[in-house]
Amino acid sequence: MAKPEDKTILIVDDEDDVRSYLEVALLEAGFKVRTARDGFEALEAVKEQIPDLISLDLVMPRKSGVKFYRDLITDKAWAKIPIIIVTGHARDDLGKADLKELTMSGPGIYIEKPVKPERYVAAIKEILGLDSTKEEQNMANQLKLQNELKDMIDGADPDMLKKIKAALNSKNPRS
Amino acid sequence: MSAAKTSRALKELLFDQFFQQLPFNVAIIDRDYNIVQANNSFREYFGEWEGKKCYAVYKKQDHPCSRCQSLQIFEDGKTRVIDSVVVDKNGQWSHHVVQSAPLMLSDKGHVDYIIEISSIVTDTAQWQQEFNILFDRVPCYVTVINEDFRIVRANEAFRESFGDVLGKYCYEVYKRRKSKCPRCPAAKTFKDGKMHHSEHTGIGKAGQNIEYAVTTSPLDRGRDKVAHVIEISNDVTRLKKLEKEVLEAERLAAVGQTVAGLAHSIKNILMGLEGGKYMIGLGLKKDDRSLIDRGSEMLDRNFDKTTTLVKDFLSFSKGRLPKLRMVNPNDLVMEIVDLYKDIAAKSGIELKADLKPNMARAPLDPDAIHTCLTNLVSNAIDACLMGEQKGSEVVIATRDEKGILTIQVTDNGTGMDYEIKKKIFTTFFTTKGGEGTGLGLLTTRKLVQEHGGKIIVESKKGEGSRFIMEFPRKRLGMLHEETEEE
Repeated sequence: MAKPEDKTILIVDDEDDVRSYLEVALLEAGFKVRTARDGFEALEAVKEQIPDLISLDLVMPRKSGVKFYRDLITDKAWAKIPIIIVTGHARDDLGKADLKELTMSGPGIYIEKPVKPERYVAAIKEILGLDSTKEEQNMANQLKLQNELKDMIDGADPDMLKKIKAALNSKNPRS
Repeated sequence: MSAAKTSRALKELLFDQFFQQLPFNVAIIDRDYNIVQANNSFREYFGEWEGKKCYAVYKKQDHPCSRCQSLQIFEDGKTRVIDSVVVDKNGQWSHHVVQSAPLMLSDKGHVDYIIEISSIVTDTAQWQQEFNILFDRVPCYVTVINEDFRIVRANEAFRESFGDVLGKYCYEVYKRRKSKCPRCPAAKTFKDGKMHHSEHTGIGKAGQNIEYAVTTSPLDRGRDKVAHVIEISNDVTRLKKLEKEVLEAERLAAVGQTVAGLAHSIKNILMGLEGGKYMIGLGLKKDDRSLIDRGSEMLDRNFDKTTTLVKDFLSFSKGRLPKLRMVNPNDLVMEIVDLYKDIAAKSGIELKADLKPNMARAPLDPDAIHTCLTNLVSNAIDACLMGEQKGSEVVIATRDEKGILTIQVTDNGTGMDYEIKKKIFTTFFTTKGGEGTGLGLLTTRKLVQEHGGKIIVESKKGEGSRFIMEFPRKRLGMLHEETEEE
């Protein structure tokens, strides 16, 4: 089984604090880490050395996450790099369309800011198929489920939402 | 020949030659509607008449007309002029004026016959009728007023809304005033003979407010002096109400966008706090002093961000309605230029003003406009610095065209690509890393929207940007009235 030590993660985010926070968290988990401040820098980094996974912010100056992604998939080798989206714009006008484009055609998983370090690491380990503790697995599964639910809720019409609510109420007699 | 004979011959001659040849339709009718005599013209026009009733000939109907005026002549002996629609021998209807007079065989005052002389007036009558319909039925108010400002004619729509108004002073009727209205367009038309337009608030007969847009034009064409003015007004009450609602909706939308933006901004700060907390925890666990320091710096920075955000936000949320005062927009621009000229010059950027001469004053919130311009100018200076080109300049220009007052800030700095342009107003978007809160443009837009205006961005990457604040003067006026009421 592969170990985090064998994997290089590229973190792309325009906020200094976010970058160093995620970097520390991944280093702590044993990963090798490289960073980029926007889509341009990220593309340079990929050219230099193909990472095993890219942690991508959506809204960035100069070159946004989705623009970077569009460039990335023009290359066959690059297109295979798994991506995890870390965004604060999952549900506003600014990021919604971009996120949809990305999750529909590509990476498929996103984490909404603010991010807990354990959850972030767990999700990455899950994507890369790395050995993880039971706790990490639980967290990764939870995130997956959350993503699926969010997508469903975002895509649902009001009638569907009512049905979901009714279903939840019947399964959960406490409420 | 005897005198009597001569007289009879003359009468016969009169009848044959004169009566028969008259170029009008002439008929003599008795009390029982029988036509007893008629001339050639009559026969030609209506066809055979002998032994027929007048209504059968005139109208081609089998019963007397319901309001026969000629019948009354038999009673009172008075001559009448009657408007009548008649049908000719081919079944074609036409409009006639009929002169109807009594014929008395004796001098006892007893009317034996009546003589009717009719002539066709179809064209004129039709025009008259069409004009009347047009005048009454056009879906707007039409009045004609004389030099004393008294209403001499008013159409149906006007009478419906304002009541019976003939002879009254127009200002009394329109606005229930005792004297002429200020900004009276009719007065201008009386003076210069030209068309004028303005908007007013009137009071209807039920006491309701009626917003109307009025156009006045001289009724006397080609004469030296205008004696009558025709006022054509449209009821724009509903339109005004809609305009106000749109204005209100736009202001509410601005609030909604702001709340969404706030949520995002807080998310970012939380992310920083989360990171700081994590690093300190990790540092303590590993006894790594530098990690603790980095974490604590991160916390500091994000607490500071919270403070700035709250401060900005308070100023952002201040005052729903702008505090409008009549000011000269050019003066506001010059204040900003004077304030930032030196700072810009230190960075090698020239800050200039390009002002419309003789700018009319406008109701604006000077503090709000000051904030907007400060934001836009500071952005423009940043854009120039990022562009790193020589001969950078920022120009604040004022314009006033087609009822829209514009203040625009143009730079020849770095410019924006489509992605950024799309996003600058949508949330707390900043390209300045940790420096900006991303509130500047949002605040600017909110303030502009509160003035009933909008902000437009034109930008090309590498060539510079232009931020245009547009204020429709009409809306400013509306807001001004509204805020004065409160």
